[in-house]
Amino acid sequence: MKIYEFTQAPNPRRVRVFLAEKGITVPLVQVNIAAGDNRKPEFLKINPMGGLPVLELDDGTHIAESVAICRYFEETKPNPPLFGTDAKDKAVVEMWNRRMEIEILSMTAGAFRNTSDFFKGRIPQVKEYGEICRNAALKRMEWLDTVLADREFIAGPRYTIADITALIGIDFGRTTGIKILENQKNLARWHQAVSSRPSAKA
Amino acid sequence: MKLYDFALAPNPRRARIFIAEKGLKLDNEQVNILEGKNRTPEFLAKNPAGGLPVLQLDDGSYLAESVAICRYLESLHPEPNLMGKSAREQAEIEMWNRRMELNLFGPVSRAFQNTNELFKGRIKQFADYGAAQRETSQSQMQWLDAQIGSKPFIAGDRFTIADITALVAIDFGTQMAGLKLDPALKNLGRWHQAVSSRPSAKA
Repeated sequence: MKIYEFTQAPNPRRVRVFLAEKGITVPLVQVNIAAGDNRKPEFLKINPMGGLPVLELDDGTHIAESVAICRYFEETKPNPPLFGTDAKDKAVVEMWNRRMEIEILSMTAGAFRNTSDFFKGRIPQVKEYGEICRNAALKRMEWLDTVLADREFIAGPRYTIADITALIGIDFGRTTGIKILENQKNLARWHQAVSSRPSAKA
Repeated sequence: MKLYDFALAPNPRRARIFIAEKGLKLDNEQVNILEGKNRTPEFLAKNPAGGLPVLQLDDGSYLAESVAICRYLESLHPEPNLMGKSAREQAEIEMWNRRMELNLFGPVSRAFQNTNELFKGRIKQFADYGAAQRETSQSQMQWLDAQIGSKPFIAGDRFTIADITALVAIDFGTQMAGLKLDPALKNLGRWHQAVSSRPSAKA
């Protein structure tokens, strides 16, 4: 078993933090996105979409998409549970994880994709759209601050995959100057708590 | 349980097809997005993100996000299975469902939002961006045709949630965002006909 990944990219980090929380070690193979190694024919055989990370199982099966990889490990090593416990809790965690993807991670990523020099000439960039993403991320963080007023973690009293997605979404915002504001006390308290877990360094 | 729904919107259709495949019948309440009924304080109390569908559980709590609703129903009614059984199968179906969301549903929705009259004046539209997203959607359909190849369904040999996502994205794209299902895409056409002829497709 191994995982193809790239240390600097946000999605591979989701899987690394998840594995660290589970206490699972998997050999990592670097695929340099900046050098375009994920667009070469050898890699497209592994994942025809060209994205990272990708999990290679011992039977040769390739699982792409961060959350699909995380789900595989949740099923093979259920403790500690990071996708919820019973039917309702699992659905609530799914809801919050998706909200963090849609409202936070896709917005900070959209800001980066459309305004950064990294993507210049590689994809059609619409700067104005990047600005809309950036403002949306800032607004959603304001909302998330109010959500966290009465709960310790994003989906409730326990740390889950929704916290991982939110942490990485917010941290990735640094690439375009998106930051937690001083008056966002709940968000700052949460961010400090999840950032100080050993998994955050993964 | 009650589903807050809007017949014309694509995400609620994902939940309705899933419910039909499970053979379930749920109470249904229409929330008219076009009239902004999903932005009223009463509705935002149910889902602060303002989106549809929303499922009200028997304990009175509310669950938003189509896939979260599907996952809840999958836990309560495991058969017919639509999200996978073994670890590997669950991961493969999740991968394909997400590919359908990211590759197809995402660009189709952005093409719709940036080009359709319905959104004029409601959000800032970028016509060029919308046109580019429409082209992306078209080329993703070509990609999907190659990926389906001789497989009966998106994630393999049986119908899953990934088929629902792809069907809803393609139908929404052709009806509302100017997409064309090119007859030259034989595998995609064969698949589309098969899933559209299931009774659930009318949900």
